[in-house]
Amino acid sequence: MSESAPTAADSRRIAEEARDRVRFEEEALELSDQVYRVARRLVGSREEAEDLVQETYARAFRSWQQYQPGTNLRAWLLRILTNLNIDRGRRVQRTPDLQPLEEGDYYLYNRLESTLPDENPDEERVIERLSQDSIVEALSEIPHDFRDVVVLVDIGEFSYAEAAQILDIPVGTVMSRLHRGRRLLKTKLGEKAVV
Amino acid sequence: MGCGCDDCEQMMQPYIDGVLSADEIAEAKDHLARCPHCEKRFRFEEQFRHYVRVATDEPMRPELRERLVSMRFVVPPTS
Repeated sequence: MSESAPTAADSRRIAEEARDRVRFEEEALELSDQVYRVARRLVGSREEAEDLVQETYARAFRSWQQYQPGTNLRAWLLRILTNLNIDRGRRVQRTPDLQPLEEGDYYLYNRLESTLPDENPDEERVIERLSQDSIVEALSEIPHDFRDVVVLVDIGEFSYAEAAQILDIPVGTVMSRLHRGRRLLKTKLGEKAVV
Repeated sequence: MGCGCDDCEQMMQPYIDGVLSADEIAEAKDHLARCPHCEKRFRFEEQFRHYVRVATDEPMRPELRERLVSMRFVVPPTS
């Protein structure tokens, strides 16, 4: 390897790379609010979510060249984030055998409807029975595996395929966890409803 | 009360997710048109999904955004 002055081609390449990097950083930063919103529901507190997002961006900025332009950057960032979240050892907290009981899909509606005096109320009236806090709380009580999928699909609005890619699980597993996760959420909310 | 239609309850999630086959969608629509009991629960479910998104929404603090912005170019690239 000879130490020679950088050629014009070298300088061009360096300038191009710097430009690509700036573009990547700008695109990633534009998504930070959306990334945070998902992160906030994957973990228990604002502080944890902020740490996680910060770590995610540190890693993303470091390994930006591994991102393939044209693919879904938001999914790529969330993939980093969920991996970091898992690395933090949250799997240890998992309860292995205890499978929570869940009710059917109509359970929550039926339960809330029964708290209203009028027969056959409008569904808007029924949904008003749920407080914002109760939803946040119920979501945080769902076991991680199910919650991750519900948060990615129903809050992050990722497709089944994207959620599968982010969590590195088969699409069929996404579907079954989503189905159960949603039912668990509604079961918890129904249990909280004051009759 | 109710149609006692367990199939309908089973099809609710995939129906709203838009992953049913054309035949299944037709079947679900046909049933919903005839069954106010299920129809009401489907509408509730759609609104519930939306409400979950709205109720759990917590925007990022501007401080965090500033911190992220300040990390640009600071971290050296790998390899």
